Amino acid sequence: MVDKEKCTGCHQCELWCGTEIASTSRELARAINEEPHPAPRVYVEGKPFALQCRHCESAPCLDACPNGTMRRDPETGLIYVNEPTCIACWMCVMVCPFGIINPSSSMKVAIKCDRCRNMGYPICAEVCPTGALSLVERKDYRKKKF
Amino acid sequence: MRYIIVGGSAAAISAVESIRSQDHESLIDLFSDEETPLFSRVLLPYYVAEELSKPLLNFRTADFFDENKVASHMGVKVTSLNAAAKTIRTTDGQTYAFDKLLLATGGKAIVPPIPGIDKEGISTLKTMADAERIYNMKGKRAVVIGAGSIGVEACISLTRRGIKATLLEQLGQVMPTVFDAEAAEIVRKRIEDLGIDVLTGEKALKFTGDKRVTGVVTDNRELPCDMVVLSVGVRPQTELAVQAGLTLGDMKGIRVDETMMTSARDVYAAGDVAETHDIARNAWFLNAIWPCAFEQGHFAGLNMAGQKSAYPGSYRRNSIGNFIGIPAISMGVTHAESCAMTSDEDEFREIRVRTKDSYKKLVLRNGKIIGAILVGQTQKAGLMSILLKKQVNVADSIPLLMSDRLNFMDLLPILRRNADRFSEPEYKELMDTGL
Repeated sequence: MVDKEKCTGCHQCELWCGTEIASTSRELARAINEEPHPAPRVYVEGKPFALQCRHCESAPCLDACPNGTMRRDPETGLIYVNEPTCIACWMCVMVCPFGIINPSSSMKVAIKCDRCRNMGYPICAEVCPTGALSLVERKDYRKKKF
Repeated sequence: MRYIIVGGSAAAISAVESIRSQDHESLIDLFSDEETPLFSRVLLPYYVAEELSKPLLNFRTADFFDENKVASHMGVKVTSLNAAAKTIRTTDGQTYAFDKLLLATGGKAIVPPIPGIDKEGISTLKTMADAERIYNMKGKRAVVIGAGSIGVEACISLTRRGIKATLLEQLGQVMPTVFDAEAAEIVRKRIEDLGIDVLTGEKALKFTGDKRVTGVVTDNRELPCDMVVLSVGVRPQTELAVQAGLTLGDMKGIRVDETMMTSARDVYAAGDVAETHDIARNAWFLNAIWPCAFEQGHFAGLNMAGQKSAYPGSYRRNSIGNFIGIPAISMGVTHAESCAMTSDEDEFREIRVRTKDSYKKLVLRNGKIIGAILVGQTQKAGLMSILLKKQVNVADSIPLLMSDRLNFMDLLPILRRNADRFSEPEYKELMDTGL
């Protein structure tokens, strides 16, 4: 979840998402000069707010993907791109209502936040200096009063 | 409850998933005239191009039917439907009874009545058999007739296999139902850069050759060739519906209500065969595209299983990706003029931005998006898609929508003004942030 009171728009989440998830070196100093440029899966937008994939209950990207590359993990409900089978048709880009699925910088695969499903804890929440980003149960987040 | 599904592609499989989300036990029988199960039709050009092998064309895993307890009858055609008696008959001579039936029979490739059309070496590209036929054709030169998505992709497939391809289109531009002239020109240049000859405004008049095709005669020239791919469009496969007396629409698709039910009780239709309400056109329309088929199958399945859900309507969405070599997305109508049923009070607007390597266009009716084209830069295209689908007034946000800094969070004021239309929890939780 994102606490808008604490999000200062510092872009640390973007920086480290790009480094840890997208770069091959996983070192910030090297990642900055990597080609293709490592692209983050979280977007600091608006006033500001770090927007990631909402993992929609009824997800348009799952319906649009023509070869089952876009998948939902049956256990966690998280939606992820099975990169080896992505054919870069950008159907998911076309239908994502939040605009958080985008072509990779190499234009070879679609990239999106999978909430670091293989890492245990999301990197964006780990690096957030103000604690604006944290991992909480969705039902608790929806109950939160801003 | 006993379900029968006629068809085996997007709408059919999506309906199975939705039925099973509500009903884990009832029998589901699925009949498909294709021998190969679970392959994605839209990927057939990738197969012809040797980009994807057969197993990689699948959009669901091979155990899908077992997992979902579906009795699949591949290669079995349904020959008749009795909507009153609630039975079907199949090519294997059997009769099956149903409580709920889905017609997801899809479309059939149009074979235009051009003299010589039955010569060898001429094929449509719609079924797996078509793809295999084209893949196995021998020769150095091909003519592809019809420059829609499939035609363009067929040309690229053949080019990648070292075959010299010529694309022939009788209208004045490539992909005429997808792009306006300006976007089509950008795409055309890209196709020509790949070594494909593109001839627009030119019509195929006849095919030459004895048994096998050796050329295409157009109104301007004769194009020698060893093979021809026909991609002039599809029409809904409605033989069963016609024979069962179901109501068809003006575009000859099966008319469905918002629960995806046809004029016959307990008989549903979804996908390329169904004529639905088009949100952008505000008219009945056939939107024979993958995402619509999947969505319609989803709603049909829910309603068949007793979960009442209203389909919000269809709208065209096309994306060309890496295969053609330039990202381009188009949705809804391409021109204000293509809108039917307009009243005198309707006010239309088109807004365009062209840079060296990108093009963006919005078509608005009364301040609501009814069409969008994005070429070169397609990031955030989904935001246009949702604003089109929800038909909300965006007149005060045009500079944001046309700019590169377009993002979801800056659209929140629009969502909040139309909170009743954005009732899904994912929108609500972001609106609740108060940003």
